Amino acid sequence: MRIAAALALLWAVLALLYQVVLARGGGRTDYSVRAGHSGRGVLYAFTTAMLPTHKESVRHHPGKFAVGLLLHVGVLAALLEIVLLVAGVAVGWPWGVLALLALPAGIYLAVRRRVSPVLRAMNAPDDYVAIVAVCALLVMAALSAFGIVAPAVLLGYAVPFLVYLPLGKLRHVIFFFVARADLGRRLGYRGTLPLAAERNHGGQD
Amino acid sequence: MADRTSDEKTIRAAKEMLAESIRGLGAYHLNACVKCGLCGESCHIFLTEPDPENLPGVKAWKVMQHYRRHHTLLGRLAPRVAGARELTPATLDELVDTVYGRCTACGRCGLHCTIGLDIGAVIRVGRHMLAAVDKVPAGLQRTVDNQLETGNQMAIPRDEFLATTEWLADDLRLEMEDDTVRLPVDEKGARALYLVNPREVKFFPLSLMAAAGVFHRAKESWTLSSRFYDVTNYGFYSGDNGVGGELTRRVMDEAKSLGVEEVILSECGHGFRSFRWEGPNWIEERYPIPMRSVLELVEEYLDTGRIRVDPSKNQRRVTLHDPCNLVRWGGVSEPQRRILKRVVNDFEEMTPNRADNFCCGGGGGMLSMTEYGERRVTSGRVKADQIRNTGAKIVATPCHNCADQLLEITKHYKLGTEIVAVVELVYDALV
Repeated sequence: MRIAAALALLWAVLALLYQVVLARGGGRTDYSVRAGHSGRGVLYAFTTAMLPTHKESVRHHPGKFAVGLLLHVGVLAALLEIVLLVAGVAVGWPWGVLALLALPAGIYLAVRRRVSPVLRAMNAPDDYVAIVAVCALLVMAALSAFGIVAPAVLLGYAVPFLVYLPLGKLRHVIFFFVARADLGRRLGYRGTLPLAAERNHGGQD
Repeated sequence: MADRTSDEKTIRAAKEMLAESIRGLGAYHLNACVKCGLCGESCHIFLTEPDPENLPGVKAWKVMQHYRRHHTLLGRLAPRVAGARELTPATLDELVDTVYGRCTACGRCGLHCTIGLDIGAVIRVGRHMLAAVDKVPAGLQRTVDNQLETGNQMAIPRDEFLATTEWLADDLRLEMEDDTVRLPVDEKGARALYLVNPREVKFFPLSLMAAAGVFHRAKESWTLSSRFYDVTNYGFYSGDNGVGGELTRRVMDEAKSLGVEEVILSECGHGFRSFRWEGPNWIEERYPIPMRSVLELVEEYLDTGRIRVDPSKNQRRVTLHDPCNLVRWGGVSEPQRRILKRVVNDFEEMTPNRADNFCCGGGGGMLSMTEYGERRVTSGRVKADQIRNTGAKIVATPCHNCADQLLEITKHYKLGTEIVAVVELVYDALV
């Protein structure tokens, strides 16, 4: 099972990287004369721009954002647990705690996806598959870490999960970084980012 | 049979444009959305009409569905699971309302997106496809055609342009009490070519007159062109990069033929973005002649003492509207502030401001599309509230497109404010 999981992991990583290369499409030369710094824009995009004071989606929805953050911490722990098991490293119960804490967040987001009118306007079966698959991953990771099921059960589940990961919505695991970096790069180049220090973003709204 | 062939051609053209327009840019953003639905508050259209169809994420999703169908494995193998949508004449027709009628591509949502998705770029992918298959709304396309056929978006005849510059010069000579004031046209060897919005020629001559007055006082060597003076670029709005490139090339050729050292762009948000940032990429070459905003030039005049101003000449409270394409997508946010702080006595910022500003509602070519007029005015409520909260009597805006919308919402929401270009306030403050 370890070999199968290792192959699935390899597939996921390579397929994700391939898609990024494909999305880049060879890139394009920017013929405009820069007014700022791309690097500073990227740095800003991954630091200050992520703060609730600078990001309305977080400021207006702190609860939902916290739930999303919690889910992602659990998912990353579960993925790391799989990597460790593939590498032959034993995983202790704390990993299971992280997964277990993230599970209610996953269930909340699954329910929200079903009931929210704005989310229903853009839902596809892939969105439900993704959130259900992630919740199942958290359950498996917790059960395995607590020793309730054998690690092979988690690795067995990991195979279809990792095969699916680069195909659907879950590929945002890499495109989050690429898209944010791209926005930061372009706005940095034009001198928009970092935003001016005197900027009044209306944090009180 | 003929219809089928025509449909096949349409689909082929849309697919080719989809592939072309995502190359190197859009595809990152077409893959990244997690559909969290937290982007509503960043959109002036959703805030004033909270229909799920107006949510930035939903609008982007409608473009992404086509991408998924034709450019992802899951979309090809199991389109229903992926939520992928086939490109057909019918689905393209549906997309028109989404990308032209429900979004000004102002890009504010991108800055606030949990992911950092450039939703404006995604919407523009949709516009590229629709422009490639002749599905641009009629009013917007008419403006594009005017620009291509006559050299300016309002189809102003050359004689009318020349007559306007003459009477503006006459008026300016009287106002400045200086017989040497001129509005030079087609003068070879001038240092700078000044591009203006045709609306300045037709409806708002005060801003052109003010710019001419400031240039005169700064002893600038400048000229207008009677052939290609239009700073706007409606190919940018329609999504037709071919037209955008053609208009860019004409201006650059005109600048070369006049032998100028630089091109100065009048106060126009999308015009600045088009010429300064998109133009070189449309024509795929570095400009041999640099371009900058008139705001940057006027600030230089103030810094170097070429003009002197007295802020007490502008006593009423002034606020500033930030055009999305000049500030968020153009990177010019501070010169206009530094200028205003020198030429007016009472300057009050809107909240939010700079790159975080809200669109006035008239961006993205909305003003040319009468079918979306009601939504445009409704969406202007966010800006109207911002203006009202400043207590300002004057709204300065470095964009004539925004000025049109601001004039309309001033009337509709009974704001009682005056809308002016920044250069008008500079002119009023000249000593």
